[in-house]
Amino acid sequence: MLTLTIDNQTISIPAGKTILEAAEALGIMVPHFCYHKELGAVGSCRMCAVTVHTGPMPGVKMACLIAVEDGMVVTTGDETVATFRERVGEWLMLNHPHDCPVCDEGGECQLQEMTISSGHGIRRYQGGKGTYTNQDLGPFIAQEMNRCIQCYRCARTYKDYCGGRDFGVMGSRNRVFFGRFKDGMLESDFSGNLVDLCPTGVFTDRTFRFKSRAWDLEQADSVCPQCGVGCATIPGGRLRELQRVRSGDNPLVNTTFICDRGRFGSGYANHPERPRQARQEDQVVSVPAALTALETQIRATVKQHGPEAVLLVGSDRASLETNWLLQRTAKHFGCRVPVLNAHRQRHQTAQMAAFDLSERLASLQDIRSSDLVLVCGVDPLAEAPLLALALRQAVRKGGRVVLYDPRPVELPCDADRVAVSPLALQELLADGGVEGRHLRDLLSQAKNPMIVAGADLLGLAGLQNIQKWAEKTSNKERPCLVYPVLAGPNSFGTALLSLPEQDDLLTRLASGKVKMLVCVDADPLLEAPEGERFAAALTRLEQLVVLDYLPTSLSRHANLFIPTCPPVEDSGTFINNEGRLRRFQRVLKPGLSLARTAPGEHPPREFSLDTPGSDPQPAVLLLQRLIGQEQPLTEVHRQLVLEQPRLAALVSLKAGEAGVRVAPAVARPHSLDPLPEQPAQTLELVVTPARYGGDLFSRYAPKLEPRKRPPCFYLHPDELQAHGLKDGDAAVVETDFGSFTLPVRSQPDMALGCVLVENSEAFPQLIPGAGLGYCVISAGGANE
Amino acid sequence: MHVIRGIRGTFQPFWVTLRNMFRKPVTIQYPEEKQQLPERYRARLILTRDPDGAERCVACHLCSAACPVDCISMQATEAEDGRRYAAWFRINFTRCIFCGLCTEACPTLAIQVTADFELAGRDLLKLVYEKEDLLVDHCGNNNSYNFYRQSGIGVAAPRGTNPGETPPADVKDLMP
Repeated sequence: MLTLTIDNQTISIPAGKTILEAAEALGIMVPHFCYHKELGAVGSCRMCAVTVHTGPMPGVKMACLIAVEDGMVVTTGDETVATFRERVGEWLMLNHPHDCPVCDEGGECQLQEMTISSGHGIRRYQGGKGTYTNQDLGPFIAQEMNRCIQCYRCARTYKDYCGGRDFGVMGSRNRVFFGRFKDGMLESDFSGNLVDLCPTGVFTDRTFRFKSRAWDLEQADSVCPQCGVGCATIPGGRLRELQRVRSGDNPLVNTTFICDRGRFGSGYANHPERPRQARQEDQVVSVPAALTALETQIRATVKQHGPEAVLLVGSDRASLETNWLLQRTAKHFGCRVPVLNAHRQRHQTAQMAAFDLSERLASLQDIRSSDLVLVCGVDPLAEAPLLALALRQAVRKGGRVVLYDPRPVELPCDADRVAVSPLALQELLADGGVEGRHLRDLLSQAKNPMIVAGADLLGLAGLQNIQKWAEKTSNKERPCLVYPVLAGPNSFGTALLSLPEQDDLLTRLASGKVKMLVCVDADPLLEAPEGERFAAALTRLEQLVVLDYLPTSLSRHANLFIPTCPPVEDSGTFINNEGRLRRFQRVLKPGLSLARTAPGEHPPREFSLDTPGSDPQPAVLLLQRLIGQEQPLTEVHRQLVLEQPRLAALVSLKAGEAGVRVAPAVARPHSLDPLPEQPAQTLELVVTPARYGGDLFSRYAPKLEPRKRPPCFYLHPDELQAHGLKDGDAAVVETDFGSFTLPVRSQPDMALGCVLVENSEAFPQLIPGAGLGYCVISAGGANE
Repeated sequence: MHVIRGIRGTFQPFWVTLRNMFRKPVTIQYPEEKQQLPERYRARLILTRDPDGAERCVACHLCSAACPVDCISMQATEAEDGRRYAAWFRINFTRCIFCGLCTEACPTLAIQVTADFELAGRDLLKLVYEKEDLLVDHCGNNNSYNFYRQSGIGVAAPRGTNPGETPPADVKDLMP
């Protein structure tokens, strides 16, 4: 620890920190632009000048570049540096177009703040202002280069941190330009971070263009629900419309970055088809009436047909509290335990992560500082985009990424990629012979090894082998940690709440005893495999009750439907892949946005106390009313912790905090599915979530449309040739779930012996994570 | 002392009355007669136009942010040429306290005060003014300022042609 004095205040700080960081720790604000805690310092803006009074060369120095030394004496506000900063402020404003009134950054602009704090006011320079021609950077980002102050933060974000290749710095002297070589959509899946990182209004959110001022937005700390990473986000809404999502700050999970799917994929909250009224047999009813009807029906069904007759279904996109209250509701009405995740295989792997692996879970922070990451069966950009960024940071720090996957996995960093089919990957993990031994040796020799395991592709058997590998390669000095990639934002939480060895949804439906199905924030048709079996079982039901906030097909077919709220309109807790409790807070109250109730006009000229479309209620509240126990969320948490001591941190958890890990638990017994034998003349079927449209949320996000890809089958070119197909031909693929006709595409980076297909709204029948499957491909069908 | 003060207090008002009986009255017979108000009187707000005839308001929300009683609301939108303007703009004059802070905040001189103070009525909704009620066909108290000709984002004139600007840089030029 080094001790130094800044503005007559003394601080002890570890070596290697800069004066700027020491000043921040003391609460002294030194104006700066180019320094960012994740991007580091480059010293290009010259704003953070301070006077260093000690050492061999005292004088004005850049606080972001000078490392602290013992006994250093620094002043940040003396006349020399104040004048220096005022001049720098004036110089940064030389070419500024003075268009703050029409700039979307206005109100949260660092240039505004720093110009005022530097003291610059009246323009003295009489020369001409430099100008630029803007580029069209696609539907997400709007560029206004005249506002640029050349801090290089965008290039450092896009190229260095996020690994994008189509954006950079051009030009020389006062013509320096930040953009693409030519107009076009930014290719990186993290392009939205330019908006957050640019300290002025050069890069602004095009989807949020001219919608609101930052000070008018209703904002709260939230958690992104679109994958299992659980990034901190700050959604903002106005006039009952969720207008934008900005990255929050969680140093242990996503730092200050989020992916484009999370940022621009929030359209589900305001989707025009979102169901906002309770319905009973296609008649609109009030929510209290619907709840009373539901209560009566459950009681009558249980009385008539016994506890098996009512089946409650939770989901991995519902909060921890909702799922727990579902268990409580079942107890209250004397039903059997609810099924918390309709996808049986995903629920099994999540339980594996929540129990067996709970002692050796890695966080994204661990991965960022790892020297060897073995990635098995994960396509990070599709399944957990921020994991891809974490892998890139590991590589930037000198680490190595080894990747085994059947898919043509793209990563924003260098990786040793081996394309293996799912079956071969299972064999490799089971023993693996020479290659497996070599990999285990690599892990054993590494200083800080991590294994990233894709639960969807590896399944229970794969995860068990991963656990064995992690145990074998751990030693006394350091463990080998595992980062499981689960499907939903709360997969871990639903698994943790579930009871061991409980029957899955289809088994219970097949028993024929179930007369009434209550799905809470769940659509087994879209979220679980074997949709056909489920659809057949639906016809045998007497009552289908759905509580949901998405316009899924199941909600349209329900006998009784009650609208609920998405996470932005609700408060609750998710547990992410790494077992971290993440609290989200309500941002908006439910209601139909003004843009829809008064399109293109001023707000209605009448006064009323009702909000249109405000019927939806949080699922937690609905369930509490159903069982007649309305309690504040804090009381729910207290009771939940009594039942689940692993969640002790839940009581004191606050939104916006980094979040606490759940306590480890003992392993659970699992029943392994036998690996299906590969029939002759078949190929392995690999179903992967599409990068955009794979999760249910992004299917209802109109802003993401430009990024969605048309559906097709991908095959290795050798496989194409062997089957007499050419790139672009139409082909028929026969699977256990039906036969599909689509164009085939040649993909040289994928494994041999596989057919790859993306799960999206165009392909809802094939659900990832359903275990090994086989298919037969043949030419034919009309080319679409 | 009390006696003297009492006598004076009895007669002084009579004297004041007597003195003013022969002066010209100051009362104005409002509403038949109107008073000449000071030039900078603050009453009903208007939205002015720039010298080119376009709306001055860019819907920057600064007036609504400055408004101490929250009587201004608006929604910005974009025209095809990139011009930011108000899709709707509403001032609730039943709430307005005529403090004039909005006009001080306005960076484009769009919102201005007029001396028209006669804003009373039984129907409150008639005092909720929309953009079409507020927008006038003149420049108000400034006949020269046009925000889009001062800010260099290429709306009123092509980029790099506003006063004091140089033509757009050729970023692929490597000349020193």
